[in-house]
Amino acid sequence: MGNWRLKGIALGLAALLVMLALSLVGCGSGGKQPGEGAQGSGDSQGNKAAVEFPTKPVEMTVLFGAGSGADLLARKVAEIAGKDLGQPISVVNRTGAGGATGYTYVKGQKADGYAIIWNSNSINTAYHAGNMNFDYKTFSGIAELTTEPVSIAVKADAPWKDINEFVEYAKKNPGKIRIGNSGKGSFTHLAAVALENKTGAKFTHVPFGQGLAVSSLLGGQIEASSQLPAEIMSQVKAGQVRILAVTGEQRLKTLPDVPTFKEKGIDLTLSLWRGIAVPAGTPEPVINKLEAAMKKVTENDEFKKFAADMGANIEYRGAKDFDKFIAQQDQELASLMEQIGMKKQ
Amino acid sequence: MPLLEGLQVALTPFNLFACFIGVIIGTLTGVLPGLGPAAAMAMLLPLTVKMGPTAGLIMLAGIYYGAMYGGSTTSILVNVPGEPASVVTCLEGYKMARKGRAGAALAVSAIGSFIAGTLGIVLIQLFAPPLARAALQFGPAEFFALTIVAVILLSNLSGKGGLKAFLMIAVGLLLSTVGLDPLGGINRFTFNYAGAGTGLSFIAIAAGLFGVGEIFWLASRPDENAEVMQVGLRDLYPTREEIKRSLPPMLRGSFLGFLIGLVPGPAATIASFASYSMEKGLSKHKEEFGHGAIEGVAGPEAANNAASAGAMVPLLSLGIPFAPSIAVLLSGMLLMGVTPGPLFLRDHPTAFWGVIGSMYIGNVMLLVLNLPLVGIWASITRIPQKYLMPVVLLFCMVGAYADNNNLFDVWVMLGAGLVGYLMRRFDYDPAPLLIGLVMGPIMERSLRQALIMGRGDPVIFLASPISIALYVVALAIFVFTLVKKFRGKGQTMAATGCR
Repeated sequence: MGNWRLKGIALGLAALLVMLALSLVGCGSGGKQPGEGAQGSGDSQGNKAAVEFPTKPVEMTVLFGAGSGADLLARKVAEIAGKDLGQPISVVNRTGAGGATGYTYVKGQKADGYAIIWNSNSINTAYHAGNMNFDYKTFSGIAELTTEPVSIAVKADAPWKDINEFVEYAKKNPGKIRIGNSGKGSFTHLAAVALENKTGAKFTHVPFGQGLAVSSLLGGQIEASSQLPAEIMSQVKAGQVRILAVTGEQRLKTLPDVPTFKEKGIDLTLSLWRGIAVPAGTPEPVINKLEAAMKKVTENDEFKKFAADMGANIEYRGAKDFDKFIAQQDQELASLMEQIGMKKQ
Repeated sequence: MPLLEGLQVALTPFNLFACFIGVIIGTLTGVLPGLGPAAAMAMLLPLTVKMGPTAGLIMLAGIYYGAMYGGSTTSILVNVPGEPASVVTCLEGYKMARKGRAGAALAVSAIGSFIAGTLGIVLIQLFAPPLARAALQFGPAEFFALTIVAVILLSNLSGKGGLKAFLMIAVGLLLSTVGLDPLGGINRFTFNYAGAGTGLSFIAIAAGLFGVGEIFWLASRPDENAEVMQVGLRDLYPTREEIKRSLPPMLRGSFLGFLIGLVPGPAATIASFASYSMEKGLSKHKEEFGHGAIEGVAGPEAANNAASAGAMVPLLSLGIPFAPSIAVLLSGMLLMGVTPGPLFLRDHPTAFWGVIGSMYIGNVMLLVLNLPLVGIWASITRIPQKYLMPVVLLFCMVGAYADNNNLFDVWVMLGAGLVGYLMRRFDYDPAPLLIGLVMGPIMERSLRQALIMGRGDPVIFLASPISIALYVVALAIFVFTLVKKFRGKGQTMAATGCR
């Protein structure tokens, strides 16, 4: 009967939908189950497994949402490094609690190199803000890949022509300058606080969400913004806002005319670094293999161009240097967070 | 005629193909709850970058507006919203499906989406720069005033008694504070559980209150649903009367949605709620609302599509993303070497007009794609509930998990399902709760930002004519509702007195 046939079609369709939904989720979390038996617990077996690493897809956890700056860089790294390693690296976004959600997940995975994390300063801020009860020592660094400075920008028709004039005004009129950042305790907020520390200026910090600091700056509701370059790049190119200075060691490739604070005589360097880490206890040979793949990523022309377009500088640090660097950054950020009353531990 | 050239660009085989793939993927992400357009666009970004700016942007835009078409499908068929913006469609669309009018509801939502999508592009083309400049006049203080108007306007969405609805809004506002405080960076109400740091996922709560609640409700009542609906092929498409009733709501929804789309935040969701409330107020068939009124599908479905077009205005003319999926589009442009904002049109006229042209074509494609699907989708309602419902439950769980890869969200959804069942049992309406959940973060954020910017002085809330006008509107609505209520009561009292 026709009715039965229709029913059959409908059932089949429903089944197809479910399978589609399942496979989509499956793609996202593929390769989560570590292959039992392939890896032993003994040292010699560990070494043997490491030489054959990777024999199955690697999963990279990203702490921020799909389409965010962190996510796009991570996906590019995963694409290039995956080709080099001979196994795909799948990117899964585990967002929330300032990064703690993703860190907690990766910490709970086997230390075999198949669960890697797109690490950043969030490891320091999420711990000190009290979002998680473990700190950067829970992970071993693989390599640092990029840094992004923070940019201090004003509207194109603002009276301050350079950063020194701006700081001078803020010193004379404490709290008069309202500076928009991406949220209290966010990296852009900490950078603005660090600028206060180094110069003695005083701002009113206004926390915003995605895109809103820039639109408030354009609308004249605030006087300045503290943002990552990628978030304000198109307004700069259109001549609507002017970046007074960036907090990097060196100028940004995409904005060669914008000076660094150091050049302007203000001793402020603070950059948002990004790199790869794995749970501590991952075998040395696995770390070495991943490290080599990441080094190749930073030398890749396609990645260089991609990073520049995203407003990031390429800054490579190997596993050992990376760990030392994170430890040093941890102290610096901890003291800044203490100052704004956000250090809980 | 730049638009003609744009259409020419969009009609080249490769660009046409890019548009086709884009809208298909968009429709799919719309149908699947949990997988949003932002995630789908981010996954395909590397591919689109390789396609070059014109084809790449055409495809990304296709996913973006295509998602608004698919979202209503599951709302109508199984009471599970595929996208946050399709929550309202559950209210009337699912009721229509239960009456055997699933096909009509699906077709009307596809036609409404098409009309709104197309009108939205016309509006973008004509008014983008001045509208974007006007949107910049809105600072935190003005947004706060806007949320006050919205909450008062939307509080009585269902008409099931003002107090109950207000209570539900309050609960929604409270629930929206769970998780990491977006401004203060402090965890609230998470009880030190890392999974709760993301807050309560809107899609999980919506799927729980509507979809899972419905499943529990059906399961609790014996054999009432044993019969399978018999729907002839001719009944699949809307009648002339239904089309006639749907057209004005579609047009009103398009303009309303486009304006709301200019505002940052979950514009499409708010637009659909606002349109529903407007249609309910204006409809000549008020008694049908809550029992499958076609206006309640046509208006909101048009509004959320128009809002998604409106949300492109700040991106195209200012280069500012107000929503996550727009942010992906912005990243895509930067990676393709295109600077969004005022320079986009000047430096890349081919890409700009090609994308605008492709949006017209894409909307036609979506209509052609979706109308024949109506029959197939509608046949799902013929599956007996006892087989369909377990599948739907699984579908909901997968969706809740896929949204954030967070198991906590699945528990939230099941909990919300239980609450949804109880609310139905005791005659509470879930829609105001969801409005509270959507408006809560914007309201809180703008309140606190405005106070910081005013350095603690509340005068900032009345500092601009825009805010004052909005408060006057809010007050007027409030007084009007009260007067109407008391007069209504007085009349009934007088009527009983006469007897």
